[in-house]
Amino acid sequence: MLFALSIAAAHACSPALAGGKLVESGRYSVGFRTHPEKIAVGKHFSVELMVCPKGGAKLAEHLRVDAHMPDHKHGMNYKAEVSPVSEGRYRANGLMFHMPGRWEFIFDVRAGGKTDRLTQSVVLE
Amino acid sequence: MNPRGPLAMLAAVLAAGFLATDIFRAGPQAGSGSPGNLLTLAVDFSQAEIARILQHGPWPVAPANDPSNRFSGQAEAVEFGRKLFFEKRLSGNGLSSCATCHLPERHFTDGKARGEGFVVLERNTPGLLNVRLNRWFGWDGAADSLWSQSLRPIVDKREMAASTTHVGKLMRSDPRLAEDYRKAFGMPPSEDDDLVTLNTGKSLAAFQETLVTGRTSFDDFRDALERRDAKAANQYPAAAQRGLRIFVGKGNCFVCHFGPNFTNGEFGDIGIPFFVAPGKVDPGRYGGIQKLLESRANLLGGFSDDASGKSAASTRHVRLEHRNWGEFRVPSLRNVANTAPYMHNGHLATLRDVVRYYSELNEDRLHADGEKILKPLRLTDAEVDDLVAFLQSL
Repeated sequence: MLFALSIAAAHACSPALAGGKLVESGRYSVGFRTHPEKIAVGKHFSVELMVCPKGGAKLAEHLRVDAHMPDHKHGMNYKAEVSPVSEGRYRANGLMFHMPGRWEFIFDVRAGGKTDRLTQSVVLE
Repeated sequence: MNPRGPLAMLAAVLAAGFLATDIFRAGPQAGSGSPGNLLTLAVDFSQAEIARILQHGPWPVAPANDPSNRFSGQAEAVEFGRKLFFEKRLSGNGLSSCATCHLPERHFTDGKARGEGFVVLERNTPGLLNVRLNRWFGWDGAADSLWSQSLRPIVDKREMAASTTHVGKLMRSDPRLAEDYRKAFGMPPSEDDDLVTLNTGKSLAAFQETLVTGRTSFDDFRDALERRDAKAANQYPAAAQRGLRIFVGKGNCFVCHFGPNFTNGEFGDIGIPFFVAPGKVDPGRYGGIQKLLESRANLLGGFSDDASGKSAASTRHVRLEHRNWGEFRVPSLRNVANTAPYMHNGHLATLRDVVRYYSELNEDRLHADGEKILKPLRLTDAEVDDLVAFLQSL
């Protein structure tokens, strides 16, 4: 019984990050928050992410983090570098929103030969 | 009448200055300066417009040393850099210095459409005022530090046409320069020509970091808005206020010319032809990123003094994309009235030409994968005048 609980705890995955946002796809829940919390135009920032599989989906094998401006039809001038921190937890460094306006985060979670794209809009004043 | 009714409450709120939109509403007596008319401006700025205006200050930006340059902010290095800026012997033929093209009396530009060294160059000579605030240097951003950028023209065969050997020999052979070098860097010029030239660049950068513009009538207006001082705000000409509204409104100029230095420090394609000769193009930012990443003097290399590596973040993460072809650095608009001609190739002679260029923008010239919010502004003659008045106030 104790052993079973330990296994369950080890596989428990909570995507929520304090002060962050949560986005969902069919197979994954992704919680994320930025550092610093308030994104400034033209300043580099990082994103902390928690990627949790849903309903028996496989653990994420690869995570790509990007962002673009849908109304402007262009992305960032910088490429985010994603590093795993622990199981399910990642940190993406080097992002920069170089214009005010509506940006959309893109999180591509790949596993089992498929990619789930999760997005979240944010308006930068 | 109930003294606590809505009108009494509104009067109390207005007197306390709590509602910025009401305080800054437009009125027929705008700009009259009458003591009783403190609640009017020439332009009825919305809250959103006021918020955008406030983002373009305060000015000046607090000075900060460049962590990649250990001589940044060091008085002796600044003074040595000032002398070197005017030192013609730094050039290969002894006839030109940094100041030959970056003339102080011309706000550190040369007034020519395209720079002239040993040949006529392909780009306009950019001004140096407030250059310390740049993230990228040069029209293509091929340098990621001011000291690295300062080395480029010295060894460029088309510009000053010197070499590291030439610079090293000069510093060692001239007793006065050698003594100034020792004072600035705490050691005499060594036999290591690369190091001597590197220090020369860092000293030149330390000097250029001191080149800043003062406050302007726009800054006074912006600060008056922030402290809700309508009387002071109304000292700003009505035409400039109307032009400012275009800038933060339908012109969308603020999207790129963002922040206290009126630039987001990045790059854009605005449809200026980049053919510089038959069959030859200026690749702009695309070539700039390639040069940056190939350079031994970028911030990822061993010449940076920033052990933390934090100042190299942009270089570490910069992304080369096809859309970078024909992109050029978004210039600051501060002091812009004094730095004609305009654009990366200097082909627009006046600010009015620049405004008309955006007003009549040829969308066919824009990249298919470029910025999609660029549209012809279709300004009236009066609006052109207003936008020019605003730009002249920076």
